[in-house]
Amino acid sequence: MHRLPRLAAATALLLVVALPLVATTALALAALADAAGWQALVQDPRVPRALGLSLWTGLASTVLAWWGTAALLAQASVRGSLQRMARSLPVLLATPHAAFAIGLAFLLAPGGWVLRSLSPWLTGLDTPPHWPTTQDPWGLGLIATLVAKEIPFLLWAAATQWQREDLRARWRAEQALATTLGYGPRRAWWRVVWPQLAPRLHWPLLAVLAYGLTVVDLALVIGPASPPTLAVLAWQGLQDADPVANAQGAAAGGVLALAVGLAALASHRLIGGPRAGRLDGERAARQTPRTGWPPGLLLLAGLYALVLLALAAGSVAGQWTFPAFWPQTLSLNAWRSVAGSSGSLWTTLALGIGSTTLALAWSVAWLELAPRRWDRAVRPLLYLPLALPAVLWVVGLYGLVLPLRIEGHWSGLLLAHTLMVLPYVLLSLSPAYQGFDPRCAALAASLGRAGWPFLLQVKWPLLRQSLAASAAVGLAVSVAQYLPTLYVGAGRFATVTTEAVTLASGAQRALTSAYAGLQFLLPVLGFALAARIGRPRRFTVAPP
Amino acid sequence: MSLSVHLRQLGSPQRVLLHDLQLEVPPGHILTLMGPSGSGKSSLLAAIAGTLDVLSAGQLHFDGQVRLDGQDLSHTPAARRGIGLLFQDDLLFAHLTVAENLLFAVPPGPRDQRLAAVEHALAEAGLTGLGARDPATLSGGQRARVALMRALLARPRALLMDEPFSRLDAALRAQFRPFVFGHLRQRRIPALLVTHDVADIAEADRVLAIGIPTASGPADA
Repeated sequence: MHRLPRLAAATALLLVVALPLVATTALALAALADAAGWQALVQDPRVPRALGLSLWTGLASTVLAWWGTAALLAQASVRGSLQRMARSLPVLLATPHAAFAIGLAFLLAPGGWVLRSLSPWLTGLDTPPHWPTTQDPWGLGLIATLVAKEIPFLLWAAATQWQREDLRARWRAEQALATTLGYGPRRAWWRVVWPQLAPRLHWPLLAVLAYGLTVVDLALVIGPASPPTLAVLAWQGLQDADPVANAQGAAAGGVLALAVGLAALASHRLIGGPRAGRLDGERAARQTPRTGWPPGLLLLAGLYALVLLALAAGSVAGQWTFPAFWPQTLSLNAWRSVAGSSGSLWTTLALGIGSTTLALAWSVAWLELAPRRWDRAVRPLLYLPLALPAVLWVVGLYGLVLPLRIEGHWSGLLLAHTLMVLPYVLLSLSPAYQGFDPRCAALAASLGRAGWPFLLQVKWPLLRQSLAASAAVGLAVSVAQYLPTLYVGAGRFATVTTEAVTLASGAQRALTSAYAGLQFLLPVLGFALAARIGRPRRFTVAPP
Repeated sequence: MSLSVHLRQLGSPQRVLLHDLQLEVPPGHILTLMGPSGSGKSSLLAAIAGTLDVLSAGQLHFDGQVRLDGQDLSHTPAARRGIGLLFQDDLLFAHLTVAENLLFAVPPGPRDQRLAAVEHALAEAGLTGLGARDPATLSGGQRARVALMRALLARPRALLMDEPFSRLDAALRAQFRPFVFGHLRQRRIPALLVTHDVADIAEADRVLAIGIPTASGPADA
């Protein structure tokens, strides 16, 4: 395509997305202008502790997830299992936060598997104790859940960089070179590869930070309850019929936005932290080379397996008295009930497929047409839904869909989901797409195949793994949406996530488990499909 | 078919890489371009092929004329110039078999004829029977021959080569060079070859130094 039509198309693409993003942000910020809201916020005695809890859980979980990711990558690199680790990530990544929290709560609850396995032989308990093991007032359960969920996300973000052939080859060579200079493999990783990889994970880290500070659905399930985190307090205010409470909720979202902004500025330090790049020439003692899975990843995978097992067992449990380790009777009633209300499943699927398709199409077109400097300039705008607190974002979204008369309508919901899915798809797709060797385009053009024939016959087939993985990520993000679905859908649309989170506060263990299981299954199926579509071609003739 | 280039300026607003350069390559002749890294040799090839915008991400601009047999190609898109490219890497498409890589280059026509052209190219490259193979399973020399055959199957009116032998070892280079040059001379295709290897220069017809204060002249001068 010639330069001018190309730029015109890129401008049109930008406008299509920038207009709703800017409008949503402006409307969200406008909601902060209500002085009554700020006054109510200042006078609310729960706010200082709620803010403290938000900061504590958000920052602690981000730091732990970041360091955990770095340590796991170092372990995997030394063991030569980075690629294998990347292949195992989809299952961890596919598990929605809420489903994981519900499963973890079932493990840790006073009547959960952990205490059942120790009772009565060790604890002497024959009834569940009144211990605050979930929704603990210190937010430890919330931190643990966030860390366990965000490490796979950061690992996956690292994998999207690592899977770029040019970077992988260069980093491998540099790490090997460092070892020839006397550095052990692990130290070579920390000194040579990690300082180059870490800055490339800045945006994913900011997403983790913003999510940790502002998450609502997860905090409702496993976070502290009295008081809750500030994000939950804000959400409660937004749902209130009283306009002052609404304004207070928006103001609380504003405080969280400020916290995210300040923490984002400080995150540069965190990124520089693990570099420990003192070029002091110090070499580690030579370690015996190890192979196999990193122990940290095995631990994480074990936790996920337990959580999913808890959901599976919980969903088919009939009678299950404490301290029996397994249910005394099994029942499919919960799954029958889920099947009976299949509307939520179809809504989830339709929203997921619709928003992912739109986001993927837009991202491909944008990466294909937009000049690099445009892309660099507008990325912060495109990532706004990741950086702004969800409670504030939905206020802006609601303000956007209201005059368009699409609140409580399918189209409004699709818009809300697409705007949330888009940044994740773009984050996922960009490294591979922008790392694609431009000489292939030049070569194909020299063979008479430019434009669509090149895209259809060369570029997209070669990028199909990344395209499919990005679509799976998009589906997972859409399935996990809670606040936008409830708020923009005006409560008229139920998805498996809204059902699971709503049920989590009740006592229907089996039904909650079934919905949480379904919430897990949908993204897993998406990733499985992506793996199948994206697998390398198998050539029929084997090498001699 | 002869290739002529009249370059007024090549570079970005910040930096001029090349200026006031004229070159003429008669049919079947091979002109080698040599010069220090960063002197603009590869960018010149991209400008001639019409792929400068793609390869420099819009950073570099070419002011000049490219002519094939007198026909001005300055405003002809790369896909219609009929100028082939060979890179340092063979860039065989990993999702296609060896034969499909070749078929990709064959111009549209009856399927039987296109497949016959592929079989013929495989035979010429000494790769008969390997068409269904994954390109990754071929040796470096075999891959280089497939890349050349792919470029030739598109029936290029000129061929531009950017250090195509540099990844091969000395023995393979010694075999592959006459193979490439022989095909180009036999088909009377004018070619430009960017190289740092004196052996390439010795077997080419002319040499043009870029970014070095020497004049161009016959290779054996």
